[in-house]
Amino acid sequence: MSFLLTPAVAKTGDQFTLWQRFLPPEDISENGHLIDWLFNYTTTLNVFFFVLVCAGLFGFSFLYHRKRHPKPYYTYGNKKVHITIATVIGVAVFLGVDLNISRISNNDFMNVFAKWPGEDEDIVRVEVLAQQWMWNYRYAGRDGVFNTDDDVVTTNDLRVPTGKKIVFQIISKDVIHSHFLPNARRKVDAIPGRLTRMWVKLKKTGVYDVACAEMCGTFHYRMQAKMTVYTPEEYQTWLEEAERLALETNDTEVADNYWGWKWNK
Amino acid sequence: MAAFEQHMHPKPTTFISKYIISYDHKVIGKQFLWYGILGLGIGGMMALLIRWTLAFPGEAFPILGQFLFPETNGVVPPDVYAMLFTMHGTIMIFYAITPILIGAFGNFCIPLMIGARDMVFPTLNMLSFHFAVLSFVLLLAGLFTPLGAAAGGWTSYPTLSTLVGSPGIGQTLWTMAIFVLGVSSTMGAINYITTIIVLRAPGMGYFDMPLTVWGLWLTAILNAIFLPVLGAGCLLLIFDRTFGTQFFLAGAAATNGVGDPVLFQHVFWIFGHPEVYILILPAWGMVSDFLSFFSRKPAFGAKATALAMTSITILSTLVYGHHMFTTQMSPLLTQSFMTLTMTISIPSAIFFANWLGTIWKGSIRFTSPMLFSLGVVFVFGLGGLTGLYLGTVTTDIYLHDTYFVVGHFHYTMAASVLLGGFAAIYFWMPKMFGVMMSEMWAKIHFWGTMLGLNIVFFGMMLVGYAGMHRRLYNPFVYEFLEKTIPINTWITWGALIMGASQIIFLISFIYAVFFEKEKAGDNPWEVGTLEWTIPSPAPHYNFDKIPVVKCGPHELGNPSLTGDSDFQYQTEELVQA
Repeated sequence: MSFLLTPAVAKTGDQFTLWQRFLPPEDISENGHLIDWLFNYTTTLNVFFFVLVCAGLFGFSFLYHRKRHPKPYYTYGNKKVHITIATVIGVAVFLGVDLNISRISNNDFMNVFAKWPGEDEDIVRVEVLAQQWMWNYRYAGRDGVFNTDDDVVTTNDLRVPTGKKIVFQIISKDVIHSHFLPNARRKVDAIPGRLTRMWVKLKKTGVYDVACAEMCGTFHYRMQAKMTVYTPEEYQTWLEEAERLALETNDTEVADNYWGWKWNK
Repeated sequence: MAAFEQHMHPKPTTFISKYIISYDHKVIGKQFLWYGILGLGIGGMMALLIRWTLAFPGEAFPILGQFLFPETNGVVPPDVYAMLFTMHGTIMIFYAITPILIGAFGNFCIPLMIGARDMVFPTLNMLSFHFAVLSFVLLLAGLFTPLGAAAGGWTSYPTLSTLVGSPGIGQTLWTMAIFVLGVSSTMGAINYITTIIVLRAPGMGYFDMPLTVWGLWLTAILNAIFLPVLGAGCLLLIFDRTFGTQFFLAGAAATNGVGDPVLFQHVFWIFGHPEVYILILPAWGMVSDFLSFFSRKPAFGAKATALAMTSITILSTLVYGHHMFTTQMSPLLTQSFMTLTMTISIPSAIFFANWLGTIWKGSIRFTSPMLFSLGVVFVFGLGGLTGLYLGTVTTDIYLHDTYFVVGHFHYTMAASVLLGGFAAIYFWMPKMFGVMMSEMWAKIHFWGTMLGLNIVFFGMMLVGYAGMHRRLYNPFVYEFLEKTIPINTWITWGALIMGASQIIFLISFIYAVFFEKEKAGDNPWEVGTLEWTIPSPAPHYNFDKIPVVKCGPHELGNPSLTGDSDFQYQTEELVQA
């Protein structure tokens, strides 16, 4: 059981203030702020309503303690004013909170997260094959066609540029996984027999974590890939080098290397 | 209206006929209570093992560790960790909360509160407990199989739960256990529904039933409709595992034809979302009653509360898709499920208003059931509001499958339901066992539990928002989660506080049941529902003469009352001003 002893904890040695420990990972995507904003907005509304509930709960508990208020007010709560107040609260919560945040979330979802780039847009295409317990990535290579000899294939090593939409098509070989980019606030399940997709546009370079967010077996916690975000120039340099290497080293005899599929438009 | 005569048979005399194959709803209720407490203990121990692993990865679990995991020197190994959280979830939901709230108090309270001598189908009732025992045995047997117990999470999504991901017999046993439990619960549910419809005492209309009975009734209806769906899913999964069918197989493993693993998620959540309400509805009903009883005034808007619970019951069947946003269903479905989910807040807000309306201008007695009920209002407020983040699709894309979800559903299902269950135990203790539990220890238990559970579950939401996803043996292999180590450690200390408080409860409970000498009065809480009109503990066949109901269950604090008592029994004519 030696794997138990190998890096139990990643040590970056960073120091955090207490507040920073509660914050989500740094947002490196162009649209992740929409999610963060909606979270904070919902939190504000929630705090307001929870304070109201607590005011009632603790305030009434104090005011109407048996010692302070020996004679209860006998009512069924069926007077017009009672019913009106209860209804107003119900409707206020529904309109003020629920429909409000649903509308915002729906707009974000339809106009951004579920709005797929058009065919003529210049995008980076990546095919993702999830398996227990690693992520395989496939780039189309020089010919722009997937599942050919010149494809760039990596394992647990995703490299993408900033400033361009990156579209992933994701499938799983064995069990259900979930492709989770915490820094881009995005995840989508990888399901056997079913293509799912996700797009992100990143704005900050660096190396970030890609996680599996769906329980996929004993070593689920080790199903980790690294995402290297390059500037467009660096990305081009890397890609050209990788394509050259791919043509040289890809073994055309091994059928397993051809797990890709025709890009699904 | 009693539809038929309720016979009285002679008392059972032997130990076996009295405690093992008993037809008496009160005994079956007690059986379920012990069964649930056992489940709570096992599930709780598993929770501590999980928490230990998350707070101190790679360190030996103290004392028990060396004994349980000798080959790793007491460290919980990753495969066992997966079994632990799977079994923890399964046991807590199906073998702890369900038997306590629905099995124990459903059986015990329904006939007593509606003025019946027993359930309509006593044999079915007895079988329902026996099937539950069989199911628990099947589930625990998995722990002793060569490859260990089920390890696919309590949701057991295929294809992880098929032979592709779980070759061991443990997963088959898990699936069979859930199927058998479904049979048991369905038998119970049919019994509850029928009993409430046909055996209500003469004069008791539906709105004269205590809200506890309303909650249990709606729960039983959901159970009867949706447990068979889960049973069907489990059966198909068993077919996939043992007979080579491919309902849920796809990808490399689907050698002939293609099934669809997402199909199981649909089947599971069609059941799974109502399940949340199955668990919470009895607690809501009890809390609504207790708040009224201990504020010494009628339940505020009792009819509206009952109708709000009914509409939640209906809505709960229409929203399950919000569990599956990340499987990328069509945007139209996503939008529909999001909007439907949000409508649940209307009835929720109404009965929050009614709960606060009930304690408003009351004369509150802070007894143990009341404290636990107020605790439910607090934690369910937190749990319900944090559901909003998960109902809106964009925030769910980030938060799905993180500890935020874990914190949220522990607040709604674990914290609220558990506190509701404790309130019920403290409240009906005199009627069940003829004794009272210590109020002082009950209060210590309450504050310890509240402190512990809020540290644990709020902490979970914090680390979840910081990005920590679920079911990780060691989350700290991820760099971005390293900063959550201290929070995880606090959560574990919180869990220990919560666990220690339950030991207080257990000792207090066992002492009261077996060693307490002082008998409780017939009506120690001074409330007017039917079970308090008879001696404590409730006698054989409850009611010597079937009572006739003349007023509602919450007749407290009526200013026109003359005499010492400030409440009326349901068998008394309502005093008008």
